[in-house]
Amino acid sequence: MVVRPYNDELKYLEKISDHCWRIKKGFQPNMNVEGCFYVNSRLERLMLEELKNSCRPGAVGGFLPGVKQIANVAALPGIVGRSIGLPDIHSGYGFAIGNMAAFDMDDPLSVVSPGGVGFDINCGVRLLRTNLYERDVQPVKEQLAQSLFDHIPVGVGSKGIIPMNARDLEEALEMGMDWSLREGYVWAEDKEHCEEYGRMLNADPAKVSMRAKKRGLPQLGTLGAGNHYAEIQVVDEIYDKWSASKMGIEEKGQVVVMIHSGSRGFGHQVATDALVQMEKAMKRDKIETNDRQLACARINSVEGQDYLKAMAAAANFAWVNRSSMTFLTRQAFAKMFNTTPDDLDMHVIYDVSHNIAKVENHIVDGKERKLLVHRKGSTRAFPPHHPLIPVDYQLTGQPVLVGGTMGTCSYVLTGTEQGMQETFGSTCHGAGRALSRAKSRRNIDYKEVLEKLDQIGIAIRVASPKLVMEEAPESYKDVTDVVDTCHAAGISKKCIKMRPIAVIKG
Amino acid sequence: MLKLKLEALGHPTPADVSLSNRKEFASTILWLEDQKIRLYTIEDREKLRNIDNPKMWEEGYLKYKADLNMPSLESQQEELAWILSHAVRLEFLDDPEQFASINSKQNSAQTNGKQTQQKIQSIFDGKINVQDKAFIDGVRLLASKLNVPHHPNHLLQLEAVARIVHERLSPAARGRQPIVGTPFPFDKGNDIVSSNDPALDLPMRILRLLQIQSLRQLQTHINETIVAVQNITANPKTDTKLGKVGR
Repeated sequence: MVVRPYNDELKYLEKISDHCWRIKKGFQPNMNVEGCFYVNSRLERLMLEELKNSCRPGAVGGFLPGVKQIANVAALPGIVGRSIGLPDIHSGYGFAIGNMAAFDMDDPLSVVSPGGVGFDINCGVRLLRTNLYERDVQPVKEQLAQSLFDHIPVGVGSKGIIPMNARDLEEALEMGMDWSLREGYVWAEDKEHCEEYGRMLNADPAKVSMRAKKRGLPQLGTLGAGNHYAEIQVVDEIYDKWSASKMGIEEKGQVVVMIHSGSRGFGHQVATDALVQMEKAMKRDKIETNDRQLACARINSVEGQDYLKAMAAAANFAWVNRSSMTFLTRQAFAKMFNTTPDDLDMHVIYDVSHNIAKVENHIVDGKERKLLVHRKGSTRAFPPHHPLIPVDYQLTGQPVLVGGTMGTCSYVLTGTEQGMQETFGSTCHGAGRALSRAKSRRNIDYKEVLEKLDQIGIAIRVASPKLVMEEAPESYKDVTDVVDTCHAAGISKKCIKMRPIAVIKG
Repeated sequence: MLKLKLEALGHPTPADVSLSNRKEFASTILWLEDQKIRLYTIEDREKLRNIDNPKMWEEGYLKYKADLNMPSLESQQEELAWILSHAVRLEFLDDPEQFASINSKQNSAQTNGKQTQQKIQSIFDGKINVQDKAFIDGVRLLASKLNVPHHPNHLLQLEAVARIVHERLSPAARGRQPIVGTPFPFDKGNDIVSSNDPALDLPMRILRLLQIQSLRQLQTHINETIVAVQNITANPKTDTKLGKVGR
């Protein structure tokens, strides 16, 4: 890494519009393209402070600042367009979380990088609607939260209640949501409203290590720990009445359920295994990167292809996982209200992935090109009439589900044409960390956090309360800032805002 | 439409031609004569060149219209449309070979018509001659009763009639539950229709809606198939004994 005084670093950054900054070539060595990031004034301060801190003499250890990571990604072989930082960006392994980058599939030197997908492969958010209103749920909120907590096992080391054997897992890895459909855990309409129709066709379970499968098997149908959660939310604000009505959201106060989870230990193991393979491939193919964490392999190499197939299997695992929890949520609600999920109109509004690499066609410099799009902590946000979004959302644009922090609010956005042109159809994914986990543990007391939630009337069930301060709102950027920035920059459009009334957490 | 024709003729600023301004109109006419139509010799165009002198120009234009054999039209817009079409026709006749490739598409449209004919012919199993005058008259009458717009090929019109009967008048359609819920207003989507020409905007929206409708039908069929399969394969189980809440 180049170490320069902060003021010299600033010369490489240029504010090109109210909400967008340009990172010029030379900020980091060997940049093939420029970088950029989207911020508003508050997020801008956080970004630059982070850079400033890293410029202090003697600052070593920890992750590189987000801006530097964007620039390092811009130096990877085969990258096209720009290396893009979304407003919720924060430092991560190799790629910053909230960084998206696209690589040309037709360039033999182009790479795929597990760091650009993240360890929790196909971590994502699913939103279920109901025809209940806040007044129906408020009186039974505590029981409902408990019922969800009983159905959906949470926390580190939790085990699912859907019986599965090794053969079931192999099939699920290959079939994704089609497996859940075949076994009858979900509805036909759920598949329709899921990114990629809940199944990546290039998945190959044979490319996944035994270790990953062993870790994954008992964890299917569990929420996990960390920032994952299931929330009962009520619609707090509707910005775009017509798009909301397309999603079945008619009025304020309507109750929805948000599930945020990923591929658990399975995806983590797949990523870890791949990193080992890729380091070898880098040596063999003489691929140079600015950061050791940016381990990668050529897309067409054996390692690259193996990773993409294993990643697809992990993505399928995550969809089966979220589908299983959808089933369990429907059961919990049906039991509580003594009716059927059908009568509660518990349809999936949409299911987004925010840690994934996908092959997509985009227009670059006026020409259509096949790209491998890495989205890490970034959500796909395709515009109206895009062939890959469900027919029900052809007029509105793809719904983008943005989960907030525990106890704050969440948003539904829609994809825009401008986003398609500027950010390869990508937008933010959540609040984005402001404090590291360790720092939050030091600075915040968990009892205070729980009390605060209680005061604002949120029922909470949590498996490990002592870790809850890692997820306290104070540890995160303000999700409203993040969403407003995306809306103002035009890369997605605000549609609905929800606030939680009950939270289930690991 | 005018804009498209101007574009096709290579007008430098097709988007800026405004019809409200007579001077703008005059200069467009002059441009067309100078560059495309060339009815007069250069000297004879003198009067038309007097764009800044409305009286002279109008005089010249009146004669020009007569010399072009323009039928008497009512508005300035119609006149421009006529002259543009005339210019496009001249341009085409200059070098028809150049546009031969475009003709092939028309051919495919014609074969499409032929296919329709064969299809309908086969439905009637050769028992009815679909080119018979009585048959054609019948189709036209039926079409006018159902408000189907006129099309030169009566068989295409018959297809449209069949579609309306199938979707609106068949017993199955009549027995169908009316669709409930708030309708989604036509123009309230987030989609941008790229053209800023209202004459193109509306047809494009309609075509897109038709496309969405047929996609919806396809998706519904897929869902029905999945449900049919689920009836055989589905057996969801849970076992709460397996569950374990972590730390």
